[in-house]
Amino acid sequence: MRDLMPLAMVGPGCTVQIACVRGGMRLQRRLADMGLTPGVVVSVLNSQMPGPVILNLRGSRLALGHGMTMRILVRTV
Amino acid sequence: MDREEIITASYRSLAHLESIFADESETVIADARYGFIAGLVKDVVKKPPIERLTLSDQIDMLVINRWFGLPLLLAMMYLMFQFVFRLSAPLMSWIDLGFGRLAVVASGIGGWEGSLLAEGVIGGVGSVLMFVPPIFLLFIAISVLEDCGYMARAAFVMDKVMHRVGLHGRSFIPMVLGFGCNVPAVMAARTIENSKDRITTILINPFMSCGARLPIYVLLAGYFFADHAGLVVFSMYAVGAAVAILMAFGLRKTLLRGISSHFVMELPPYRLPTLRGVLTHMWERGRLFLKKAGTFIFGVVVLIWLLNYSGALEPIGKAIAPIFIPCGFGQWQAAVSLLFGFLAKEVVVGTMGTLFAAGEGVLGQAIATQLGWSPLAALAFMVFCVLYVPCVATVATIRSETNSWKWPLFTIFYTTATAWVAATLIFQVGGLFLG
Amino acid sequence: MVVALAGNPNSGKTTVFNNLTGARQHVGNWPGVTVEKKEGICRWKGRSIRIVDLPGVYSLTAYSPDEVIARNFIVEEKPDAVVDVVDASNLERNLYLVVQLLEMGAPLVVALNMMDEADSRGYRIDVERLSQLIRAPVVPMEANRNRGTQGLLDEIAKVTDKEIRIPELIVNYGREVEEEITKLESRISSAGDLAKRYPPRWLAVKLLEKDQQIVEVLKAVEGG
Repeated sequence: MRDLMPLAMVGPGCTVQIACVRGGMRLQRRLADMGLTPGVVVSVLNSQMPGPVILNLRGSRLALGHGMTMRILVRTV
Repeated sequence: MDREEIITASYRSLAHLESIFADESETVIADARYGFIAGLVKDVVKKPPIERLTLSDQIDMLVINRWFGLPLLLAMMYLMFQFVFRLSAPLMSWIDLGFGRLAVVASGIGGWEGSLLAEGVIGGVGSVLMFVPPIFLLFIAISVLEDCGYMARAAFVMDKVMHRVGLHGRSFIPMVLGFGCNVPAVMAARTIENSKDRITTILINPFMSCGARLPIYVLLAGYFFADHAGLVVFSMYAVGAAVAILMAFGLRKTLLRGISSHFVMELPPYRLPTLRGVLTHMWERGRLFLKKAGTFIFGVVVLIWLLNYSGALEPIGKAIAPIFIPCGFGQWQAAVSLLFGFLAKEVVVGTMGTLFAAGEGVLGQAIATQLGWSPLAALAFMVFCVLYVPCVATVATIRSETNSWKWPLFTIFYTTATAWVAATLIFQVGGLFLG
Repeated sequence: MVVALAGNPNSGKTTVFNNLTGARQHVGNWPGVTVEKKEGICRWKGRSIRIVDLPGVYSLTAYSPDEVIARNFIVEEKPDAVVDVVDASNLERNLYLVVQLLEMGAPLVVALNMMDEADSRGYRIDVERLSQLIRAPVVPMEANRNRGTQGLLDEIAKVTDKEIRIPELIVNYGREVEEEITKLESRISSAGDLAKRYPPRWLAVKLLEKDQQIVEVLKAVEGG
């Protein structure tokens, strides 16, 4: 069982898999609409800890605020 | 009845599904869709083996950089304002001069017709057109930044800061637009999903000093502060922005309490803006200003002319003026100008001009001698203009964007109250220091 | 004839709108610069086509007012054709909306825009195959250079001349979910007028997605 960690702590250049999103349904749905669903593999392009993160997600660039990235749990691949 | 059954049946289905799956049903469904799509894409698209870091990504390394991002943003903003003000100043005086000459010719006709034509019609049209340069130039600059993709990054960079005062990264654009005209600025707040974030952004927008108030600062700072005029004008904008931020903070702690919504945004790749695109954008927003200007300003100028001609201005002014005594400008001429400023900020200077029958060149002097203003009073007046109620068009826009009457009414009161307090503080406290 | 224009923000939807109507519009790529419903007229081969530009959305799950507006327009106004402008360089995410439109049974034409951007990234897209798999016409375009507009209009004309399309089974949601969908679908179909307004399967899926707006619509519409 690979350990889960918040997306906020993933360094730039790393590739991770989304495990789950801790938050209300609205948030999960919003992220799902943008392509961020459990199981999808993303790479972190830019990360400013603490601070926002930019992901390469299904070919597009998604910027996420810090509050969000603490709630998105990922596992390394 | 049927429908109730359907809804109940759906709840049963949901309960069943949720007992089977670890995730919520929405996630399962979204997942299935994406699974289908992934399969589709695999079948239909051939991608190169390694996804290179695009040029956009490389640029972003700098632009969104933790240390570099904010300074870069401030630099861009500074450049933008330089561009707008340097280019628009000569244009504005040129238009003003032209219309001034036209008015002189028209008044030669004599009688009330000549006066109406000169001051009413020509004055009205002239004062509307005079504002086109700064407002349109600002919108052009913003369009270029939007079209090339930079604005998305700007919202991102600002988000950290905005969050601390209870605003959203996306509040940034409406605030900057407010420096042009508050009407399109308030409308731009639509991009903010969370309604409390959005209403806060809308409510503080009037403090972002719109282009229409610039002539007030230019006139008064130019006369009363000569050498330091530029600095004084800049500080008016700064005061407005500072009060906006403070108010956002206050509103979020009181009337609009709640957690700010999260920041999620797609960053499109950088693109070279097209001339057509930029001009289209500029026109989208600029035309809102022209529509309001063409209707309100023109109408107000004619109204003022009428009231002035019939001698009704003085009594109106004298009735209101006492309120402004503690602020340092308790004269009826000031009161009248401010009153009409509620209808349209563009006419404040014009009204003064009419009341003193003075052209721009000597207006400053006329105000100083006839109203007995000190630089401090002028400063208090300017600050009052920065902060008090926005023009009627903006209030109307707030009403339609918030879909209620309570917010526009609240705006009228709280902005004016803030302005009064600020102006009074400046005049009274300043008076103590200056002896 | 009414055509709705849908698509993600930044997909070049407004450029397509401009190309079709010659009217002025935002080419904003700052996400979500929403303006009021924009309409325009396109004159083509003697016909007058009314084009309605819907707000840019990523999905039709009624999360935001934009999505509700877009969705309601398609469901209530039943335009003769829906053009979904897709960013070819961002296919995966853009297809999310395509799939939802297909599930709604919308008379869809996919405008596969920004082909040049996809090209420059080295993507090769088999447009024919895509069209086959989703059972809807796909028109490659480069709206920036006004390429593909004629082809798009051709496909729009073809789609509007056809009969109402019945939504195909596009996505299989897995056995358990499909079972629940079928149950709900049959109930919905028997509620006569409801089935006429909305495609039953779509409604069933929305209910399982806990779509608040749909629930409210169901509660509001009284009678039996």
